[in-house]
Order: sequence, then structure tokens, then C-alpha cells
Amino acid sequence: MGMTPTREEVAGMRRRGLMLAMAGTALAGSVGPVRADDDAAARAARWQDLRQAIFGNRPVRDGSGLVQLDAPGRALDASLVPVAIRLTRTEGIKGVYLVIDNNPSPLAAHVTFGPEADPHALRLRVRVNDYTDMHAVAETADGTLYAVARYVKAAGGCSAPAGPDDEAALRDLGRMKLRLAGGFATDRPVEATLMIRHPNFNGMQMNQLTRLYTPARYIQTIDVAYDGGRVFHMDTDISLASDPVIGFGFLPTEKGVMQVVAKDSKDTVFRHSFPLPPPAT
Amino acid sequence: MPTRRIVLAAPLLLAAAPEHVPEPRGIWRGPVHGPVPATLSGAVVLDTPALRRLIATHHPVLIDVARAQVRPPHMAPDMPWLPLPHRDIPGSVWLPGAGKGDPPAGLVEAYRARLAALTGGDRDRWVVVYCHPRCWESWNAAKRAVLFGHRHVAWYPGGIEAWQAARLPTQIARPESLGGGAAPANPGVTASDPP
Repeated sequence: MGMTPTREEVAGMRRRGLMLAMAGTALAGSVGPVRADDDAAARAARWQDLRQAIFGNRPVRDGSGLVQLDAPGRALDASLVPVAIRLTRTEGIKGVYLVIDNNPSPLAAHVTFGPEADPHALRLRVRVNDYTDMHAVAETADGTLYAVARYVKAAGGCSAPAGPDDEAALRDLGRMKLRLAGGFATDRPVEATLMIRHPNFNGMQMNQLTRLYTPARYIQTIDVAYDGGRVFHMDTDISLASDPVIGFGFLPTEKGVMQVVAKDSKDTVFRHSFPLPPPAT
Repeated sequence: MPTRRIVLAAPLLLAAAPEHVPEPRGIWRGPVHGPVPATLSGAVVLDTPALRRLIATHHPVLIDVARAQVRPPHMAPDMPWLPLPHRDIPGSVWLPGAGKGDPPAGLVEAYRARLAALTGGDRDRWVVVYCHPRCWESWNAAKRAVLFGHRHVAWYPGGIEAWQAARLPTQIARPESLGGGAAPANPGVTASDPP
């Protein structure tokens, strides 16, 4: 009757099972299970599916030379992967898309630039759920799309716990800070970093104390304007890391006020105005 | 000498077993993810080589009880939701939710009937249940099979991650509904529970 593993086998299984359980996170993060999706053909097929879903039948051209996507080849923290989209030429650029191919919600951000923007560099921090290609796609005013890809090894960022305490994570919700690298100037592009306090709960994270899933609550749009003129509009999603940090450039010609409006999936609107240059403290 | 060896070994044992989890008497109704017991009364616990041997020699019924991924509520309708296809061990039947601690009405009976059909009514046919590591739902679903009276039940706690880590082939799975909203008709698009 049926094969029953020997006592030794069972003991071995338990030992190994325990080691596997202990290795748990480390295994997922560093050694990494080998996935069929590591395979180049599978990755290309995935991109074809995503292209179709996001851009329909519009042709997507090779963006090498125009678009550069900077991301770590192997991320230290899958829930906080720094990404930069750089453009060698900004005239006639309407916006950029960041696609994290193997995330369940692959369109991490779609940014539309306004007249006040300097689109040379856009920096974000994202979650990565699996070893994946990322694509940065620039769209020109005439609607042409230019894509570049980069392979990133990181896994588990979508289910990584946000922190020990959901209530603490929701404290100061929507608080914002703005930092200028190199100070304020009216004769050159200014590089700014916007920080928004928001846990961006994606519904896949478990509270470490209650061990229940924290309900999804995440930022969906961010609008940044300078003296009423658009810098950028961003549609985003659960792929954005908690406490979003967005680096961007803008082109002030005089002193003014930067207005930021962010809206989350609970339809809560967060507004902040930053007089620039910042008043001396 | 033996005493000294024991003294030396004790801290190692403690370090190696930071979370001894006792078996619950029946179905586990607590949090789904977390440390799981090393044993399951009435069933055997398999690692990957043992599972491969069992598959080669006994062609067991393979039951994957992993949850389907769920589109977060309130996602903007034009944002694509495209989780990677769910993969499991070739030949498996994917019954998402079969190990729920708080099953919706009818789910347990539907699971009992499905197992009876898959084993051809032979309670000595091997049944292997798995999902992901540190997930109670495969423990529960294996426990249910034992409680249904199946006499050769195996639990594979390493789950699909351990299988893939061993570079073994997988198949793209389609979920089979046990009713009660356990499996979406269109995987990954809607569902009632978190993954």
C-alpha cells in the first residue's frame, strides 16, 4: 500500500522544512527561486502583452539615445527601489511612463509634463514584486513612444510589511516637504525633491502585530504646479513605495509658489503650497 | 564529554528552532501567513526530493490551494491589473481557498466532493496539498483531506517556491471554483479575499 517515507526521510524533511522556513525571506530575496520568467523569451512575451494593454497598437520604438533608465541591477530593498528616468533631449517630450513588467499592477507611473517642467530627470522609489524587466517609455508631443528596458533583481516588495504599526504609518498622513538641490535660481533649471508622507498601503501587506492584511490605501494622482503653471501630473498606483519621494526639475523665472495636490484611493486630497525660494528659517 | 556536547548543542537547537508551532487540534482559524507546524497528524510532510519520488512512483493527486491575486479596490479603471500567470506543479488542480480557516458556506463540501472525484473515490490514493511557504492554507486543506477520511495525505510546506527553487518545471494554472467566491472566474481581475 502506498509509499510512506521512512522515519529518517521524514525527519530530514522536517529539518529541511524548518531551514527553508527560516531561510524564507532570505531565499526569496537573495538566492531567489529560479523562475520561468527569467527566460528572455518569456520576458519579451510579457512586454508584448503589457505594450498591448497600455499602448494598444501604437508602435513603440527603441528609445536608446533618448531615454535612460537607471535602477540597481540588484535591489537591496525590494520595497524601496530607486529609479531615475533621464532624457537626453526634452523638447517636444509630452511625458514618460514607468512600467515594472512583472508587478501585478505594472504601470507604476505615468507622468505628463507641463510648461514649467524640466523633464531631464525624474526620480521615483518603487516596489518590485519579482525579478523583472522595467521599461521607461517617453512620449513625444506627436504621440510617438520610445522605450528602453532594464532588468532588476528584487523580489517581494509588494508584500513587504510597511512597518510594525499601521496607525503610526497613517500619522501625519499627507504631510509634505520640498527640498531644492543647489538652491533656488531663476536662470537655470532647479532640481527639486518632493516628499509626501503616505504609507501607500497596497492591500498585500500584513500588519506584523495583528497579522491581518492592511486595507489598500494609496496615492493615485499627484499634481505639481508653479505659480499656476503645470510642472507635471502623475497617475500612479500601488507600485509607488511608501512615503513617496519624487525628484523632478522645473524652470522658475521668478519667485513664486509651488502648489502640490495629491489624491489617494480614499479620495482624500492633500494640498500643500511652498513659497520659493523657501523663507529663511 | 557527552554532557559537554549537550551543553554546546542546546543553544544551537534553540537558534535552529525559534518558532516551535504546535499543531492545532483541527482547522487553523488564525492568521493565514506565519510560522506553521512541522507536522500534520494523519498526513506525512514532504520535502522536494520526497515529493518528486512520490510523483514518480504513485502519481498522486496534486492540489494547489494558493489564493489568486486580487485587484486592489478603487484602482483607477484605466490602470492595468495584470498579475503574472499563476504557476504550479504540472498536473496540479488549483483550488484557491480550499484551506480557508473561515470558509464560505458550501466550500468544505465542494472540496470534499472534488477530492472524492479526483481520487476516483479511492481513499488510499495519495493526495498532496501545497501553496506557499509559511502559509496555513495548505496545512488546513491537507488537514481537511485527513478529516474527510483520505488515508494517504501529504503536505508539501515548501510550496511552489521550493519547487521552483529546485529548478523544476511548472505549469500555468487556471483556478477552479469551489463556490463561495473562493476563485474568480477571471483570475486576477476580481476576488473577495486578499492573496
